[in-house]
Formats: sequence, structure tokens, C-alpha cells
Amino acid sequence: MNSKKLNFKIVFTIFLALFLVALTVNTGMAEEGAEETVAVEASGDAGEVAEAEEEVASVPYEEAEYRNFFGIDGRLIVWIISQLHLLFAAFVLAVPLFVVIIEAIGAKSNQIKFDNLARELTKLLSTAFATTAALGGLLAFALYGLYPGFMRYMTDVFHPYMFVYALCFFGEVFFLYAYYYSWDLLRTGTGKWVHVFLGVMLNVFGTTLMMLANSWATFMMAPAGIDMKTGAILDRGAAFHNFLWMPVNIHRIIANVAFGGFVVGAYAAVKFMGSKTEEDKAHYDWMGYIGNFIGLAAFIPLPFAGYYLGREIYSASPVMGNIMMGGAFSWTFIIQAILIGMMFVGGNYYLWNGMARIKGAERYTPYIKYINIVIFFCFAVWLTPHNLPLSGEERALIGEQYHPFSKFFGVMAAKNAVVNLLILSTFFSFLLYRRANKGQTMPFKSHGNGAKITMVFTVGITIAYLAWYAMGLKGQDLSEVVKPYMSPLLTCITIQIIALICALFLTLANKGKLAQTLLFVVAASISVVYFWYYGFVLMEKANMVLRFLSVTQVSIVISTLIVNTVIDVFLFKNAKEVGGIQWGKIPNRAQYALLLLCVAIVTLMGLMGFIRSGLRMNWHIYGYMQDKSAGAFTPSIAYMGWVVSLIVFLFLALVAVVFWLGSLYGRKEKHV
Amino acid sequence: MAKKKMANKKNSYSMIMVVVSVLIVFVIIKVIAPYAFMILLGKDHTMPTPSTLMLWYMILAILACLVYVSTSDLKWANFLSFILPAGDDKFKALFQKMIIIAIPLLVGWFVYSGTVPGTASPVELRIQHPTLPQEFEKMENPFLHADEATKRKCIEEGKHLYQQNCRPCHGSKADGNGPFANAFRLRPINFTDPGTIATVVEAFAFWRIKEGGPGLPGVSTPWDSAMPAWKDVLTDTQIWKIIMGEYATAEVQARQREEMEH
Repeated sequence: MNSKKLNFKIVFTIFLALFLVALTVNTGMAEEGAEETVAVEASGDAGEVAEAEEEVASVPYEEAEYRNFFGIDGRLIVWIISQLHLLFAAFVLAVPLFVVIIEAIGAKSNQIKFDNLARELTKLLSTAFATTAALGGLLAFALYGLYPGFMRYMTDVFHPYMFVYALCFFGEVFFLYAYYYSWDLLRTGTGKWVHVFLGVMLNVFGTTLMMLANSWATFMMAPAGIDMKTGAILDRGAAFHNFLWMPVNIHRIIANVAFGGFVVGAYAAVKFMGSKTEEDKAHYDWMGYIGNFIGLAAFIPLPFAGYYLGREIYSASPVMGNIMMGGAFSWTFIIQAILIGMMFVGGNYYLWNGMARIKGAERYTPYIKYINIVIFFCFAVWLTPHNLPLSGEERALIGEQYHPFSKFFGVMAAKNAVVNLLILSTFFSFLLYRRANKGQTMPFKSHGNGAKITMVFTVGITIAYLAWYAMGLKGQDLSEVVKPYMSPLLTCITIQIIALICALFLTLANKGKLAQTLLFVVAASISVVYFWYYGFVLMEKANMVLRFLSVTQVSIVISTLIVNTVIDVFLFKNAKEVGGIQWGKIPNRAQYALLLLCVAIVTLMGLMGFIRSGLRMNWHIYGYMQDKSAGAFTPSIAYMGWVVSLIVFLFLALVAVVFWLGSLYGRKEKHV
Repeated sequence: MAKKKMANKKNSYSMIMVVVSVLIVFVIIKVIAPYAFMILLGKDHTMPTPSTLMLWYMILAILACLVYVSTSDLKWANFLSFILPAGDDKFKALFQKMIIIAIPLLVGWFVYSGTVPGTASPVELRIQHPTLPQEFEKMENPFLHADEATKRKCIEEGKHLYQQNCRPCHGSKADGNGPFANAFRLRPINFTDPGTIATVVEAFAFWRIKEGGPGLPGVSTPWDSAMPAWKDVLTDTQIWKIIMGEYATAEVQARQREEMEH
């Protein structure tokens, strides 16, 4: 057994060594360093050295624009450090968001297990926090050390905000440690809510911190408030609140929560598989479920936030948009599609395996095969590229540039349709999981007026939003040729509004399941089937309307998800339990799915980080300051793959070490 | 007792179902789809599925089956039980033999087809849109804000210029079927396809016409473009008119810029 382990270690070490050597060879590391060595060797003579020294003494001081890191290109170093910092920061920012919610649920429902979970997660947080801060410091040093010229300008523009950043950092540190160390002190009564407040403040400071740093990154992509020729600072506020700032903020907050949830899920999976007692297994199984729940819940709206960001990038610069979706970065989006598809499959797979531990779930397991087919079909469409790699022979056989598969599956009309179907299917899986344990339901009336008010309020809000958007569509200033193409969108929104009203009445009349089915059918028919077809019509006839179609599509799906969730909550409130959930009785396969989800989202963030930053191509500040360093090339996909893999590996290794360190303390003092 | 129970238990054929499902997907993609596209799109030849897609779709099909059979312990056990001794079940014994023979044959076929020397041209990764140089980004059609009569005149002139200069390759209907089209390994772009010029801003089309294949950027080379650079033959105004005429002939619209709003 031991020799087997040793073999593994040897193989792994060799793999790692090969990996690093390959990376070094790829980047042509140390080339500049080598030149310097040759130069020094050439001037070996003592007299010459003295002369050279004199010459050096007479050369006036020049400010360096770029430096390298001991012979390694500065861009590579900054890429790796910033991505690692971002990954840790994402975890540190996301976990408090849901920890506070979990704690509040525990305090409200008086269930100690929620409180314990929140505390365990905070423990992970406090250990990861120091690493995040250290990496942040390292990133700042790397940036100032390797890109002094560029950072001089960034400091000129943003220095007031840098002080605010430091202040927020102090705030975050204070509230994090106050939150963590006051857990026992503020355990009961009002104290508990004071404790929750500390957690909220931790989030306020953490999120502000992230938003401050986001503005610097987005300023580099869509500069504002400066003279684009001279660089003179005209409006510091505009530079801070630049065009891409808010889209990135929204996208990052949601993505961070998904990321945090999946990392917690993977932590629980490792702990589950290492658990010796039934009690521990049950605990970590539950923790894994919560992690996956949070991850998926945030992952579902993420494509919408991503679409919004992408669209705004197009608005900021059509060139950047084209580079992203149809140009040099288009193939990275195929990799993204594979990773996202894997995550939807992994998330569903975990839920399906989890149903095995719920008595009563067998009523719903026959649906799994249909959901599975739908999900894989969507996956296939989702990853079909518009530009297929074709051999000359294939091209000749097809007789035109696009094969019908790439023509009909490879464009945004199809992608938008299937991603909405993926989201609806995953949501359906969730609903099945939720009701697996539930038997006879209670009549809606029994939930009191509060339930009625909540239902009416939810439906009212979603209808108000849809009506507001429809009014906006009507008021669009479009040419007479294009205008008629807007009316199907308005009709679809009207149908959805009618469906929502019907769903409300059906729910109030105790037909909640029928209401949910109605909404699902209407949303799938409009947003998936009809809009898939109509997307092609628009592409051909009224390209301008496409952007409104996508938002209409998303709005209809989101309104369905929101209303169906609320219906489901009341539908199964106080329902009879069929058999209960046997926590801990889940196969290890499901735990591997959690690990897969974690690796996939870490890779996804690494990849998307590369895309967001790489879109600037050879610009530090897009359109104003060019990157004139030797490393300012757009990496090939292979090179990007190596570096992102290295980042993923480093992050997972660091996280494992940090969590292990955190667990050393817990072993001595286990909280009950 | 337990043995008796085991013996009485009906054999599971889920592994066979998986094999059959994968084969069905294979037949659909390989055989049915090319004919279906031929009929649906009114072509005079089949549209064979490209090998890259075949590979991707088959990987997904196998993955989908494996995901399904492992969604519960029972399903997984049933799936694996097929490799247990068949006992009296003659069908199972037959299927087992078929699978045992099929696996090495399949592996052999893959190895053979992957290593046998052939003359196939290499598969290339293609990129839809080359990166537009920044000097072209903010360019605007000078006739964008002209009155309707001027626009109509420009479109007519543009159509005429298009037929004179572009028709030989891109075709009189802008469908990529010009008289020279068959001479190219990569056929000229079909502008009526909504996935082509309809997805780019007019400035992009302007750059591609003006600089042509020689003006394509160094990033993502090698490019597969036989498009000549028209800057020495046509004036900028003529190019803008051609763009207007070309979109009108193809009956598609260029991507419109969005307003930057806060």
C-alpha cells in the first residue's frame, strides 16, 4: 500500500516537473537574462570594467517603463499572481455573503446545525483571508515593480480611491475578526442579531473593496474621464464610474457566490469521503448539498449577467466585442461552453444521485432520463462552433462555408435558446429534488394571508417589470422597416403576463402544480422554441431587434423561475414528509461530481479572467496607453491552456494547504 | 436463499441499452442527418456531418449514457451486472460475446484509421472575424445621415459597382455563387447568410474590402482569404456605396452600434 502511494508521489512529481519545464520552454523564459549574462561575460577585462563603471556613473537616471521578473516576462508573472489573488478574493468575498444568510436562517428557525455550518465556513474564511491579502500585496509589488510606467499613470488617476481601498481593507479585517471571534460571546438573543449585523458589515466592506478594484480593471478596458490623446485627467469620477464598471460588478458578485458555493461543496466532498463516523458523513453530506445548492442557485442567473457584460463590451467597443465572440478569443468561448456544460451536467448529476437518499424520490426518478436527454442536447448545441474545423475534403463535400449544424446551432439565436432550456431543466431538477420527500400538500388557504400577499406581491412585481420593459420596447426609436419586427416580442411578453396572472389564480385555487406546469410550458414554448426560430428571422431581416429579443427571452424565463419558486415554497409548506432524508447515504460518485464542479469553476474563472484582460490586446489602457513591453502579445490557445492549468493547480494546492491548516485548530477544539 | 433470489432475479440489459442508444445517435448523426439536411435545405447532394462534430457529439452521447446509468446505486449495479456470468440466459451470453469481440475490433479500427497514411488536407481552426484595426473602429458611413433620396441613389450606384467588381466571386445575388466561386478552396462568403455580414458593423466590411486578404492582421494567422485589397482600385466613397448596395442585394442589415448609456 505504502509503495503504491510512493509510486503515485513519484509519478506526480515527474508530471509536475514536466509541466513546469514545458511551460518554461513555451514562454522562452530567461531570454533577456541570458543576454545580460553574455554582456557581462564579454566585458570581462578589469580595465574595461572600470571604464564601464565610469560610463555608468555618468549616465543620468532614467525611469524604467518595464522590468522583468528575474528573466521571466512580467506579463506572465502578473497574470498568474493576479488570477490567484482574484480566485482567493472571490472565495473570501463570496463566503460571507451566504454565511450571514445561513446564520440568520439558523437564528430565525432556532436550528443549531445552520449556526454550526456558518461557523465552520467562517473558519475557512479566516484562514483564506490572510492568503488573499498576501497575494494582493504581492500583486501590488509585482505591478509597481514590473510595470512602473503604467502604474505611475494609474496612480495619478486613481490615488484618492486607493486610500479608500486601504480604509475598506481595514474595515473588512476588523469586521471579519470581530465576526469570527465574537461567535460565542454573541450567541443568544439580541446578541445573535448584533452578530449577524457584524457579518452584514463585513459584506459591505468586502463588496465595496471589490468594486473599487473593479473600476481600475474596467477603466483599462473602457477608459473614461481622461483625454485620450494627452492622458490629461478631466474627470476622476467618470474614470472611476466608467462604462463597464457596473456590468463587471454585477457579474463578479454573482460569479463569486457560485464559486464560493462550489468550493465549499468540494471541501465538504473531501471531508465526506474521509469521514469515519456516520455523524460526520451526515454533516458533510448536508454541507455538500448546501454548497451545491448555493453554487447552482448563483450559477443559474450567471449566463444572464455574462450576456449583459458581453453586450456592454460590444457597446463600449464593437472591435473588442468582435475580438471576443468572433475573433481571436472565439475559440476560448468554445472551451467556456464545454466547462459550463460540464457544470450543468455535474450539478444535475449530484442532485439525481442525492435523490437516492430520499425516500419517496422514486416517484420522480423516471423524469431523470428525459431531463438528461434535454441537458445533453443543449450541451451539444451550446458547444457547436459557428466556424467548424473542416478539412478541405469536407468543405468540398458540404459545398459551402457552413455546415447546417454550425449554421443552425452555432449562432447566438440557438445558444440563447439552449442556455435558457438548460436553466429551466436544472430548475426543474431542483423542484423534483425538493418535492422528493414531500407527500400530501396542505391547501393554500391554510398558509394564511401572508402567503396570499406574498404570491400577489411576487406576481405583481414580475408583471410590473415585464410591463415596464414592454413599454420601453414600444418607445424605441426605430426605423419603419424594423419596427414591425418588435411586435412579436410585445405579444410574447403579453402572453407571459397573462400566464402569470393565470398561475396566480390557479395557485390561490389550490392548483399550484398546474400553475407551475403552465408557466414552464409557456416559458419553454416562447423562450426556447419560438425565439430560437424568431432569432433567425431577426438575424436575416432586422438584426437591430436581436438585442431586444435576448432580453425579452431572459425576462420571461426569470419571471417564470421567480414565480415558480414562490409557488413551490407554499405548495410544499407543512406538507407531509414521505420518509425523510438519510443524510450521509450518498454514493461517492456524487462527491466526485462536487469536486468536478469545483475544478470546472476554478478553470472557468481562470479562462474568463484571461479573456476579460486579454481583450485589450496590446493596450494597457484601451485606446490610450499601449503596452510596449516584449510580452505584449496575445497568447495562443495552447499557451493560455498551460498557464490557466498552472493557475488552477496552484490555487487548488494552496486552498488544500490553507484548509488543512485551518482544520488543525478545529481538531483540538471541536464546536458542537 | 440469497443465491436463489439472485438466480430468480431478471437480468438487466442496461449495458446493451447503452450500446444501442449510442448506436442510434451515431446513425442519426452519420446517416440520417446528411439526408435530412439535403431534403430540408433543398440541396442536390447530402451534407455529411464533419468529423470534428461527429467526435464531439459521440463523446457527449457516451457521457450522457454513463451519467444516466450511474444516477443511482441500483442503476449502476444493473449496468455493471452485465459482465457477470450469464448462467442460463442465452441472449445475455450472446451479447456478452458480441461486446467482447466488438471492443478490440473498435480499438483496432480506431488505431488503424488514425495511423494509416492518407492524403487528407489538415483540419484548421478557423476564426470568424479577424481583429479590426483600431483606426477603422470609429469609422462611419458618410451617407448614414443623408436624406432618403441620396441614400437610395447611393444604394443603386453601390449595386452597380457591386455587380461590376464583386459579382464574379460573391454572385449576382450576393449568395457566394459567382462564376468564379467554384475555383476557391474556401468558397466566397454568402452574404445572404445571416451569420456573415449581418453580424458586423459597416466599418468592418469597409476594412475587409479596402485592405482585403493582404491586410489581415498577424494575430491568428494563417488566414484563408483570397479577397483582394481594393484600396488601389476603388475610392473610399465607392467602397461605402458598394457596402450599401451589397447589404441591399443580400437583403440583410449591418450590426448597429448601441448607445453608450449610464
